[in-house]
Amino acid sequence: METAHNDTSEPPLGLFRINAGSCNGCDVELAATAAVSRFDVERLGCRYTESPGEAAIVLITGPLTARVREKALRLHGAVPEPKVTVAVGVCPVSGGVFRDSYAVAGPVDAYLPVDVNVPGCPPRPQAIVAGIAEAVLLWKARRDGVPPPTAGSLPESGGENAAPAGVRGRMRFNAAACVGCRMCAHVCAGSAIRFDEEEAGLRFTLWHNSCAFCALCAHYCRTGALAVTEEWQLAHRHEEQYRLVEQGVVPRLPCAGCGEPLLPVPPELLRVAFRETSPEIARLTALCPECRQKESIGGTRR
Amino acid sequence: MSRTITLGPREVGLEEPMYFRVEVEGETVTGLDVVAGQVHRGMEHLVMKRNLYQNITLLERLCSLCSNSHPSTFCTAVEEIAGICIPARAEYLRAIADEIKRISSHLFNCAVIAHIVGRGTLFRGVMETREIMQETKEAIYGNRMDLAANCIGGVRYDLAPESAAFLGREMERMKAPLDELYRIYATDADLTARTEGVGVLPRRDAVACAVVGPVARASGVAYDVRTKSPYGAYDRLRVEVAGEGAGDVRARTLVRLREARESVSLIEQCLAQMPAEPACLDTLPEIPAGEAIAKSEAPRGELIYYLNTDGTDMPARLKWRVPSYMNWDALAVMLKGEKVSAIPLVVNSIDPCISCTDR
Ligand code: SF4
Ligand code: SF4
Repeated sequence: METAHNDTSEPPLGLFRINAGSCNGCDVELAATAAVSRFDVERLGCRYTESPGEAAIVLITGPLTARVREKALRLHGAVPEPKVTVAVGVCPVSGGVFRDSYAVAGPVDAYLPVDVNVPGCPPRPQAIVAGIAEAVLLWKARRDGVPPPTAGSLPESGGENAAPAGVRGRMRFNAAACVGCRMCAHVCAGSAIRFDEEEAGLRFTLWHNSCAFCALCAHYCRTGALAVTEEWQLAHRHEEQYRLVEQGVVPRLPCAGCGEPLLPVPPELLRVAFRETSPEIARLTALCPECRQKESIGGTRR
Repeated sequence: MSRTITLGPREVGLEEPMYFRVEVEGETVTGLDVVAGQVHRGMEHLVMKRNLYQNITLLERLCSLCSNSHPSTFCTAVEEIAGICIPARAEYLRAIADEIKRISSHLFNCAVIAHIVGRGTLFRGVMETREIMQETKEAIYGNRMDLAANCIGGVRYDLAPESAAFLGREMERMKAPLDELYRIYATDADLTARTEGVGVLPRRDAVACAVVGPVARASGVAYDVRTKSPYGAYDRLRVEVAGEGAGDVRARTLVRLREARESVSLIEQCLAQMPAEPACLDTLPEIPAGEAIAKSEAPRGELIYYLNTDGTDMPARLKWRVPSYMNWDALAVMLKGEKVSAIPLVVNSIDPCISCTDR
């Protein structure tokens, strides 16, 4: 029975999982947060429950398939207010790799309020625990009827949360090395990358909430303009969701011949293509294809 | 009097949403129908909207427990069409990734079995042992579930000498806990009482249902793609096929534990045999029009990919048959005559993957 309690003897907050059609990656990691002492959610004052009526925090995984939608919404509705909803993995936020399927009804926030997102595919258990910690703060504010605290300081990524070297975190874009070949966008399963032509140049945008963190873009990027970082701690309040982007503009420079704007060829590509460059090659890179053609016609044949 | 009840994911204690319509007389199961589709994401439609590169990442998310088997089998089909021979080193690295995933997958299933029979401490113990594998995967591949190991023409990770030595040490670390788990699951009186003679699939029915993977091998059908039609590096590896005859929940669990131990040995063999050379072709191959079938032994059993290409980098058709699909039907045999309360245990003993069956 509920009794009056102070902060030290509060009953644990119930965590309720809803699988909205996931690949089970996120769900298996949720099981790890429940079973493995190192991740233990009990330290946050939480406990998993199988009954929605006992829950305070809802953890939702998967892209919300059309088939599961009604059931998932009903289960979510059965959790009493004030509740806090955490989207685990990129699927509920954007559909992730399953975007644009006839069978996917998401994103989840089209149907119910989402409070916290934990990007990743699947996220590390440590990131899920960080998202739950944030949810606990929000829940307490709601219960007490006070405004939500400014986004909580996420747990340190060092110590026992430390990731091994080489963990696949967010992608980083280096505009200076980009040739605008768009191979990265071509290979990206989650359509996380888009290019926009702008006056100043070619704008690159990558939305981490749609990224599967597969690093295939970096693998196929010949100049190394895309690189994997070890930044995995990306849990955030839902209202911040569109701030989780990586951006850059590849500037257009005037052609040295005719002045038409062109995307310069970065030295990274020249190194891949020619190993060593020469002043002659460098001069050609400052020309647009048309001027280069003229140059070839006029130049001496080898 | 017979009646029909519906069982949903909460009652079945699974990580995935799966529903059953069960016919019962009193407390005894007389018939069973699996209600599928909750996790249907339209994968066969999606793979046709994605090019061959995007499909490497998408297919890895067909199911995260067999997540390496899907892209590696898919890439094998692409390579077959393109007439590509991947470097031998890449074949070994694919086998390593597959076997690492097999250990984790099998241990997860054994953990859930312990959870269902109410052995909380054992459940946590198996999950802790599995963490060695999770951390190994994270250190080598950068993620605990989805390894992102494959690309067309090979693999996109390599094991430098230090990483290979690290993997070898981690495998050494797994041996004693795996042997101990086998001993517990094989000899613990209470576990044996709960799992022996439960959910029996006799050999005859196993053959009739054409079950695959550990479910088949626990019913005395020694079918394993790694030895029956070796692919990749497996023709150079010594694979002991685990077998049991009882066909019950206990036998299926023991087969998985033996296979996990065998995977350790396979990884060690790979590390010892792997030649030093690049792990991937350096060029982007042209994929001509053609068709191919590729098979592999995923943790849950035989996985088959069919790919049809038309000369572009969009697949013209891509279809697969997943092991859990073959094992579903056998549930009706296993459950007939069992108590309703045994359903979660028996269902889990086929290690069902809803995610890849519903796709
Ligand atoms: S976010 Fe990734 S791991 Fe999680 S359910 Fe979606 S596809 Fe699977
Ligand atoms: S890592 Fe790159 S290719 Fe993979 S999903 Fe993210 S942006 Fe797309």
